[in-house]
Amino acid sequence: MAVKPKLIKERIPTPEVPVEERVKSFVEVNLGYDFASALKEAERCIQCPPEYAPCIKGCPVHINIPGFLKALRENPDNPDEAVKNALRVIWNDNTLPAVTGRVCPQEEQCEAPCVMGKVGDPINIGKLERFVADYARKHGIEEELLREFMANGDGTKGRVAVVGSGPAGLTCAGELAKMGYEVTVFEALHRPGGVLIYGIPEFRLPKEILDKEIAKLRELGVEIKLDHIVGKTVTLEELLGEYDAVFIGTGAGTPKLLNIPGILLDRIYTANEFLTRINLMKAYLFPEYDEPIAVGEKTIVIGAGNTAMDAARSALRLGTEVTIAYRRGREDMTARIEEIHHAEEEGVKFEFFLNPVEFIGDEEGRVKAVKFEKMRPLEERDRKGKRKIVGTGEYVTLEADTVIIAIGLEPNRIISEEATGLKTNPDGTLVVDENLMTSIPGVFAGGDAIRGEATVILAMGDGKRAAKAIDAYIRRKKANA
Amino acid sequence: MYKILEKKEIAMRNTWYKIHAPHVARKVQPGQFVIVRAFKNGERIPLTPVMWDREEGWIVLIVFTRGKTTARMAAELREGDEILNIAGPLGNPVEMKKFGKILAIGAYTGIVEVYPIAKAWQELGNDVTTLHVTFEPMVVLKGEMENAVGRHILETVQIDMTKSFPENMKNVTKRLTEKVRELLEKEHFDLVFMVGPSGDQRAVFEVVKEFGVPMKADLHPIMVDGTGMCGACRVTVGGEVKFACIDGPEFDAYKVDWDVLISRSGYYTDMEMMAMQEYMKVLQGGGQ
Ligand SMILES: Cc1cc2nc3c(=O)[nH]c(=O)nc-3n(C[C@H](O)[C@H](O)[C@H](O)COP(=O)(O)OP(=O)(O)OC[C@H]3O[C@@H](n4cnc5c(N)ncnc54)[C@H](O)[C@@H]3O)c2cc1C
Ligand SMILES: Cc1cc2nc3c(=O)[nH]c(=O)nc-3n(C[C@H](O)[C@H](O)[C@H](O)COP(=O)(O)OP(=O)(O)OC[C@H]3O[C@@H](n4cnc5c(N)ncnc54)[C@H](O)[C@@H]3O)c2cc1C
Ligand code: SF4
Ligand code: FES
Repeated sequence: MAVKPKLIKERIPTPEVPVEERVKSFVEVNLGYDFASALKEAERCIQCPPEYAPCIKGCPVHINIPGFLKALRENPDNPDEAVKNALRVIWNDNTLPAVTGRVCPQEEQCEAPCVMGKVGDPINIGKLERFVADYARKHGIEEELLREFMANGDGTKGRVAVVGSGPAGLTCAGELAKMGYEVTVFEALHRPGGVLIYGIPEFRLPKEILDKEIAKLRELGVEIKLDHIVGKTVTLEELLGEYDAVFIGTGAGTPKLLNIPGILLDRIYTANEFLTRINLMKAYLFPEYDEPIAVGEKTIVIGAGNTAMDAARSALRLGTEVTIAYRRGREDMTARIEEIHHAEEEGVKFEFFLNPVEFIGDEEGRVKAVKFEKMRPLEERDRKGKRKIVGTGEYVTLEADTVIIAIGLEPNRIISEEATGLKTNPDGTLVVDENLMTSIPGVFAGGDAIRGEATVILAMGDGKRAAKAIDAYIRRKKANA
Repeated sequence: MYKILEKKEIAMRNTWYKIHAPHVARKVQPGQFVIVRAFKNGERIPLTPVMWDREEGWIVLIVFTRGKTTARMAAELREGDEILNIAGPLGNPVEMKKFGKILAIGAYTGIVEVYPIAKAWQELGNDVTTLHVTFEPMVVLKGEMENAVGRHILETVQIDMTKSFPENMKNVTKRLTEKVRELLEKEHFDLVFMVGPSGDQRAVFEVVKEFGVPMKADLHPIMVDGTGMCGACRVTVGGEVKFACIDGPEFDAYKVDWDVLISRSGYYTDMEMMAMQEYMKVLQGGGQ
């Protein structure tokens, strides 16, 4: 088919639920492609050679992107076959495509260097990845592929314990199971998924889809033990006695709090508490679900990352007015562009260069306003390349009867406090070597537990790299035994 | 899924659950708690293993019927049913050492949390006196306490049906503070420990402070995950914000900011909303 490529500069759009409708519920905002439109979008790709394709380099787990797009295009009249072949290519590098296709910041990763971006819109790689995963799930194509991938899955090569069931842990577990290890995941909460289940809301990542992605791992033979807090229910040392190796993927789930007056007033939530109540406990379905959640009429969200955006958009759906207050400027926001855009569309207001200095309460101990100092940007940049800011000495007070703090998260200390041999950095992240091994031989770690707050795909990349290192470690250990 | 081996009402609004939960039973230490999710659409609530058998793999929880979840548990759960989730043990064990002479106080169902701690302190060679102050029909663990510690003092308060529940609760607070004062005036204690509503904890603390006796208290802020992930349980201790689920639940009473804790837990206001008599009707009517 040596036809001269005709460049289609513009993206094939994906439909979205209209704003008026979606702000009233937690339904998924983006509806994704159907086969016909996915095919059209895939056909825009000019098929750069895999050894050079910049999109592959931009993807932290190096999915063969032109490869899966090609697979889609090769069977235009047989969608099932096309999707099966595309999914096979994706699964080689990524076992949770329905998740990553939805939550990755593709504009900074695979889509940023896409050649088509130089002449028009980059290929909509994320939505295509999502399409492949969604179609396969809906049409029962996964089962067949799973059998292929389970070729080694007899669990006889050794036993590995994985701590935490976020993207890092799940990926590591899946990879090891595929290699033939017996894997047990220990999870503190009552549902697996980490941030994917308790942090990211339904309107971005439907939990039904996540559950199915996780069910797939169970089919690969991975056992998931819920309600198990490693460091309390079972110690790291005990795990090392029972398993050949351990992977720690406990994330960075502890919220940072502002150390300013009024922080303990009623109706001041951390974003984690707010989102956990909504996502994990389904408090938005109260009283059908028992978990309560209370918001007033005016909510201020402090911060401007993904967490802040998710909290703001969730609060909005509970019927309150929402303002995001950020101490830096619009261009410094760290949330995904798509989400900032959605938040604006839905009516979230933004206030920039405001740094909270005090929460003001009423007689009953409830928050009623937030006092901010106005900030000013400097030319100088910090380590992360963001503009530095300084206070102006001017203040402004905004009314709010609900406040959600989303200024960042740090690693949970339960394990490192109990296992004293486990070295940590001053910020609580675990120290690892180039093989992702911690200071305790046989104990590996990855994801937010070693990086601090990062991304889903980086966590998955770590999980995968650690699985390889664990395999090598166990082989060596068994050879020497 | 954790099977309920035994369930019985051991006093008014107090239910005893013996549950198969080997992962908790093998590790739990006095002072630690669990997070329980009993129903599919249910919330997570903190409760305390009162007794356990590491070999047989069971724990005992004693639950005060307070609001929706605990009432649903009392009404809907049967022996042989399974509890969906029990996560734990959580929190830090209490310090196990020889303090000397200890006064361990439990108000209402708080005494069930005192039990494993007081028992272990006594076994370690401390001279433990326990004090239980509650309404008359709510006495629990009297025999167990008497067997476990040097001396168990029970002080009951009558419920006056003509008065509101908060009015009745004030009588408990009064009896508590009077009794503590009486004990501290007569005897020397090296440590006071207390579990109960935060308002009562503060009232007792005010008395203990006059005598300069060290005091520890188990704090009960609202909890969601119980693993340090949400900050719902934050309290100020010694001027610093702490998470009760991972830094506590036990803290030095002299360092706790009681005002903030009380305004955040709103214990009395909640109690007010529950008409006591309504509840008694529910219980007598078999829980429908
Ligand atoms: C609200 C929110 C929105 C986000 N949005 C995006 C996005 O759009 N795109 C993106 O790429 N990234 C996003 N992120 C970041 C991303 O979710 C994280 O980088 C990623 O989840 C890290 O994965 P992980 O596996 O390392 O840890 P986590 O997902 O944090 O999972 C850790 C798991 O370990 C469990 N655990 C912790 N301690 C223990 C213990 N002692 N014993 C047993 N289990 C334990 C926890 O309960 C949890 O389930 C977002 C984060 C948040 C909070
Ligand atoms: C560490 C700890 C150990 C506990 N041990 C026991 C025990 O052994 N026996 C017992 O009867 N009770 C115990 N409690 C108190 C028990 O958790 C509450 O009575 C229970 O959560 C009330 O739930 P509810 O839905 O019935 O009441 P509601 O009043 O309807 O509760 C509404 C919400 O508030 C939260 N909540 C309300 N009161 C408390 C409270 N005092 N502490 C924590 N969260 C609260 C609940 O989790 C729920 O989310 C303990 C609390 C803590 C913090
Ligand atoms: S960079 Fe863009 S055009 Fe090139 S292969 Fe990747 S997706 Fe296709
Ligand atoms: S209950 Fe969530 S941090 Fe303590």
